[in-house]
Amino acid sequence: MSAVSVDASAGAREPSAVGNASGRNAKMARTGWMVGAYAGCIAVSLSLCAILVSTTGGSAARVFSALVDGSLRSPGAWGLTITTATPLLVVAMGTIVAAKAGITNIGQEGQLLLGAAATAYVATRVDLPGPLLLTLSLLAACVVGGLWAALAAVMRFTRQVPEVISTLLLVYIASQITTFGLTKKWLLLARVNKTRTNNGEPLPASGHLPVIHLFGNTITWGVVIALAITVIVGFTLSRTTIGFRLRMLGLNARTARRAGVSVVAFGGAALVISGITAGLAGGLWLTGGIAGDRFTGAMSSNIGWQGLLVALLARERARLAIVMAFVFAALRTGSGFLAATGVDRRIADVVQAMLVLSLLVPPALEALRNHRRGTGVAA
Amino acid sequence: MTSASEGVAAWAAAPSDPVASQLHGRSSAPSVRLQRITKRYGQVVACDDVDLELHPGRIHGVLGENGAGKSTLMKILIGLIQPDEGTIDVHGSPVRITDPITASDLGIAMVHQHYSLVEQLTVWENVVLGEPTKLNRADACARVAALSERYGLDVDPLASVTRLTAGQRQRVEIIKCLRREPRIIVFDEPTSVLTPAESEQLFSVLRRVVVDEGRTVALVSHKLDEILHATDEVTIMRRGRVVDRLSTSTATASGLAQSMVGRPVSLRSEAAALGSIETITANVLSSAVDDAGNTAAVLTTTVPSRPVVLDVRNITVIAKDGHRLLDDLSITVHAGEIVGLAGVEGNGQRTLGDLLASLVHADSGTVIVDGAAVDIHRPGALSAAGVGIIPEDRHDSGCVLDLSVAENLVLADLAKVAKRGVLNRKALEVRAVELMQAFDIQARSPHAAMRSLSGGNQQRVVLARELSANPKILIAAQPTRGLDVGAIEYMSERLRQAAADGVGILLISTELEEVLTLADRVCVIHAGKIVGEMSRSDLDLERLGLLLGGMAA
Repeated sequence: MSAVSVDASAGAREPSAVGNASGRNAKMARTGWMVGAYAGCIAVSLSLCAILVSTTGGSAARVFSALVDGSLRSPGAWGLTITTATPLLVVAMGTIVAAKAGITNIGQEGQLLLGAAATAYVATRVDLPGPLLLTLSLLAACVVGGLWAALAAVMRFTRQVPEVISTLLLVYIASQITTFGLTKKWLLLARVNKTRTNNGEPLPASGHLPVIHLFGNTITWGVVIALAITVIVGFTLSRTTIGFRLRMLGLNARTARRAGVSVVAFGGAALVISGITAGLAGGLWLTGGIAGDRFTGAMSSNIGWQGLLVALLARERARLAIVMAFVFAALRTGSGFLAATGVDRRIADVVQAMLVLSLLVPPALEALRNHRRGTGVAA
Repeated sequence: MTSASEGVAAWAAAPSDPVASQLHGRSSAPSVRLQRITKRYGQVVACDDVDLELHPGRIHGVLGENGAGKSTLMKILIGLIQPDEGTIDVHGSPVRITDPITASDLGIAMVHQHYSLVEQLTVWENVVLGEPTKLNRADACARVAALSERYGLDVDPLASVTRLTAGQRQRVEIIKCLRREPRIIVFDEPTSVLTPAESEQLFSVLRRVVVDEGRTVALVSHKLDEILHATDEVTIMRRGRVVDRLSTSTATASGLAQSMVGRPVSLRSEAAALGSIETITANVLSSAVDDAGNTAAVLTTTVPSRPVVLDVRNITVIAKDGHRLLDDLSITVHAGEIVGLAGVEGNGQRTLGDLLASLVHADSGTVIVDGAAVDIHRPGALSAAGVGIIPEDRHDSGCVLDLSVAENLVLADLAKVAKRGVLNRKALEVRAVELMQAFDIQARSPHAAMRSLSGGNQQRVVLARELSANPKILIAAQPTRGLDVGAIEYMSERLRQAAADGVGILLISTELEEVLTLADRVCVIHAGKIVGEMSRSDLDLERLGLLLGGMAA
């Protein structure tokens, strides 16, 4: 026995002080590495885009300048970008909650569309004074988005239907439902519809989000809601027992169960929460006014999918998601100006996609690096 | 001592074969000669300048602790790993073994510790798997049957592997290996999942292969008994180096143990680690005679008066295919008592461990902890009722590799470091530092990822967490599997200490030696049932062996 205690004291270290310092250094080194990786990948991507645009007869300089003009430089541009980033960020937050619990919700697009439809219904069909109408219409978006995800949760936890499949397929059903709603005047269709496509009833003035004017830019109050959600999600995940249990569940469901985490309660809640946020994002997108003043079948315009991408690119980190949401919004608003440069629209789409890809590469590189190191240690 | 040796003789095959000893005296040309083999992994030297000679007609034991380098050496021999330095001669000519196919062409084969059989296929299909020729069922079955008969390896060629016991699976592995008529065979820890009777049978097959057919066998093991009873000569490895080589006839258990560990060892406390039943039983018997100062003996007499802390009643768990994983199983543990649940792997131990961690749905039965019935299907209920668990596979249900050490130390105990649902990071860290010191956990910091710790330290984290929750009962399932001797000693001491403090301990282990060293009472599980029970004072190895094999005794 004595030999063991000798071994132990020889190897023992002061765990607190030394460990913290080295941990912080390692963290800084990792952050530095990631910043470098992003810079490198974006540089490579920009060069490839420049070559592509030049060889197809366009001017690379004008293309990049148009992207910056559209997203930041031209009057009112960054306000527009921030407002566009709002629903992306809200979708991403819910996605992060689900992902942390080990749940893969990829049906945000449908949850968002139904959320927007619910908002449109309440805003155009219910008669209430201003702020109350807006609040109720956004709440309706949350409820409907949450219920839509709850369908997948019920299938997942009673019949073991993988949520990856159910949430995805529910997107198409959601789309069919809203299309149907747009054919009935008692649901979503405008009472006076002059166009050949079926459009929704225009929202009343009180159904729009109030705006903030800032240096000639207009931002909706939705931004405040989105940031508040980000803070709450970030804090809950990292600092509370609920967040801890959720992470435990995502990382090792059996250990979590043994420690008293109910997979059904926590996993189901995480999936429903991601539906609620996606629904709310739909409500914010509609009432934010960028997509027009009324509900249409195509209004979700990939906000749900892109919000999912934002969560993936942010590697499930709340703070990083703010940056990623802004970058995605900038690509959306910026590409609106590309058409004016005379570059073929398809080339402009390739440019946009290449920039998105450049953001996808660094997390993949990091995962690869960790993997390599992991096996190195194991051997 | 003498009566104990008889028990062991029944357990392991008698080695003193006249032909073998004759061969032993003669210096035949080696069939394999490994010279100056070195293999490094980064800073770690797995094999350091190792020489090894294997001779035809002899069983050569390679003895060492976990991580001593014996598996690496054998993997080099069969081409799974390339050495950094050194040469290999086979039958006198230098060779480069770049992959297992080359090894196979040279007549070298290995029977792995973890079987590589395709469960869904039948025995004959597994045996011919990988043969380039056209499949012919009748022909293949006949060949399997011929091999079965020649070596006394009884197995039905048409049986599906799923239905076979561990011992039968090993027979299939051996047939698969012998079918190619290898001249040199490596057995890697072959008895880890076998009953004593099956081990005995294995050793008699080894004898036949070696003596009658002049093949070369290397037997890799960390069990002293196995080496002493089945080999002709032995090479002992420690920390990647050969520390001793000798003829088995001149070896003694304590001498081997000392070479293996590198210091004089008290076989009483390390017997579990070293796998020497002989020393354990010797101690048990002597302690039964004079019980002065022997905790185990004292406990046996005092335990019955203590309250029952764990009462598992008539639990039945039925798998999807209708197979009964646990079959009306009942077991009780008193406060301060160590109950050893012995059994061959795969007889329901894992299910019992999972059941007590709320991970399995029981079809019937109840679990009573400290007098109160517990809803076993509610997540965390057993943990809250005072059941601590060191699970069989800590990565599966004992820890979260991607969380920090500090976080892993509080998994089920969040209330201790949180106020109104908000975690107190300072408290988390303080608690972690305390436990790391108390349980001697070696980690860079409390914030280091669990993944970055060594197996022994991960196990200490699990132990620290479970014991710091003041459990009424601690389930320790294979608590020392994969750990080195130091870590095993530590774990054994902690379990004894916990029992002395009044915690009831259920030790689930497939290592009979471990059960015998630690337990006050031994229960035997077979096919999901408790088939027998004996207290430490009336330990009967022969009966125990029969029970393990599922025979009523």
